[in-house]
Amino acid sequence: MSSVQGKEMSDTSIKAGNPELTKTRDKPKKLQLLVTLSGKQTMTYGLIGALVFFGLWEVAHLLTAEEAKRFLPSPLSVVQALITLIQEKDYMADVGISAYRIFGSFFIACAIAVPLGILMGCFAPIRALINPVISGARYLPAASFIPLLLVWFGPTDSQKMALLVLGVVFFLIALILDNTEAVAKELIEAAQTMGASRREIVINVVGRAASPAIMDSMRNMIAVAYTYLVIAEIVAAQDGIGAVMMRAGRFLKVDVIMAGILTIGIMGVLTDIVFRVTAHYAFPWNRKRKG
Amino acid sequence: MKLKRDISEHNIISVNDVTKTYLGGTFTAVDNVSLNIKEGEIVAFVGPSGCGKTTVMRMVAGLETPTTGGIQVSGHDVQGPGPDRGMIFQAYTSFPWLTARQNVEYGMKILGVPAAERRERAQILLEEVHLIAAADKYPAELSGGMKQRVAIARTLAQKPEVLLMDEPFGALDAQVRWEMQEMMVEIMDVEKKTVIMVTHDIQEAIYMADRIVFYTRTPGRIKEDVYMDFKKGYRFTSKEDLLSQPGYLEIEKQMFAWMREEIQLQAA
Repeated sequence: MSSVQGKEMSDTSIKAGNPELTKTRDKPKKLQLLVTLSGKQTMTYGLIGALVFFGLWEVAHLLTAEEAKRFLPSPLSVVQALITLIQEKDYMADVGISAYRIFGSFFIACAIAVPLGILMGCFAPIRALINPVISGARYLPAASFIPLLLVWFGPTDSQKMALLVLGVVFFLIALILDNTEAVAKELIEAAQTMGASRREIVINVVGRAASPAIMDSMRNMIAVAYTYLVIAEIVAAQDGIGAVMMRAGRFLKVDVIMAGILTIGIMGVLTDIVFRVTAHYAFPWNRKRKG
Repeated sequence: MKLKRDISEHNIISVNDVTKTYLGGTFTAVDNVSLNIKEGEIVAFVGPSGCGKTTVMRMVAGLETPTTGGIQVSGHDVQGPGPDRGMIFQAYTSFPWLTARQNVEYGMKILGVPAAERRERAQILLEEVHLIAAADKYPAELSGGMKQRVAIARTLAQKPEVLLMDEPFGALDAQVRWEMQEMMVEIMDVEKKTVIMVTHDIQEAIYMADRIVFYTRTPGRIKEDVYMDFKKGYRFTSKEDLLSQPGYLEIEKQMFAWMREEIQLQAA
């Protein structure tokens, strides 16, 4: 008995004497700080995360009382609803019109925000002139413009796209202004001492230097455009994913509503991938070096 | 190896009674500085931190404007920055979206040099700064010393009359700094530029410069203006050669004494 106790004590004392050693040995390797994963490992983890999510959803569905199950359909029946929508309800046309609204309006927002943000970042008087209005506008909820836009445009595509533009453009300008101001002052001065014109510096030095960060801002803001899509298509819309979901809601077709949410999720993931891949190939000089 | 330096009698830079104040005149950074620099001279600006030596150089570059007084380079008043006065910064300024070679060609492109000539001169300069092996890499793939060599080659490619260097090797580790100093001495033997170089490093100043302008603490005035006479009209391609010159230690001791004087006055 006493010998066993003694052994235990000596064990703990060794551990206590080498806290550093014990820590590194006991902790799972991948949860150390600064440890990176291979592409394959990252994919595997992502897949596990997704499976756990759908698994929990399925479990929640199974645990729901029989008469309430239609309010929490299983993941499979949501996929089934999605397939039915595509095959029988010409759903891809709605997806297409929603995609057109998102990308069309986002293109307009970028066409306004990129030049304006860069000019504001480069020239103090332009910044001073525009910044107060832009900063204030960011705090206005875009949805509050819906009545106004309905009066101006009627229940048209233009009205929906105007809402999407209003929803992102002010944030986009502010982000691109930040991206531009973050360009090192020395890059500009170096170009000046080389005799570069003001136009050359704004476009080919500041614009180029800020472009990866601007691309990141755009990738982040298009996600916000997606959130406004449903708001835009819930009010006075006959077509688009949001309208399909709204109609389904009236008939308590929860599986169709969820299919709509799933569609937007899938579109969002695809959009994100497109932005990342584009950035990877457009800015080979900015690729993160592998440690 | 000793290299004969080649300095003309002709003044290329004249700084005349230049004063620079900030904050509406309440802070004087540079106080009534005058100096002339001859064509081909390498001049180091040395002095305590924040003494205004960088400001004087930036005014020669045209990146800042004197509050009073004037600066002439090659007989023309300095109105703003221009490619006749190439500048090398302490921060890395090689453009990250261009390869080393494209960076070197950039300045020539701005000046409208034809493509064939650009390529040829870039090749020569990349060889001069020992960057041929890395010519087609982006700055992110280069070490600090290599990035600085890209900036030097890019500036020289424009054939400036004057080279302004603002603590060009300040961010580099000791070994690389030493290699760069020796490389610059060799390049200057080929390119024959007038150089102003701002540095904190007393040994670097004595090694590279023909003349040292020592500034007082703020407000910056010229405390001493000394020629490196002990070099007897030569520049040295290795630091050992410099250290073995009679008179070297005396000048280094003198510099440290001046620096200590200024720092103690600042603290007092």
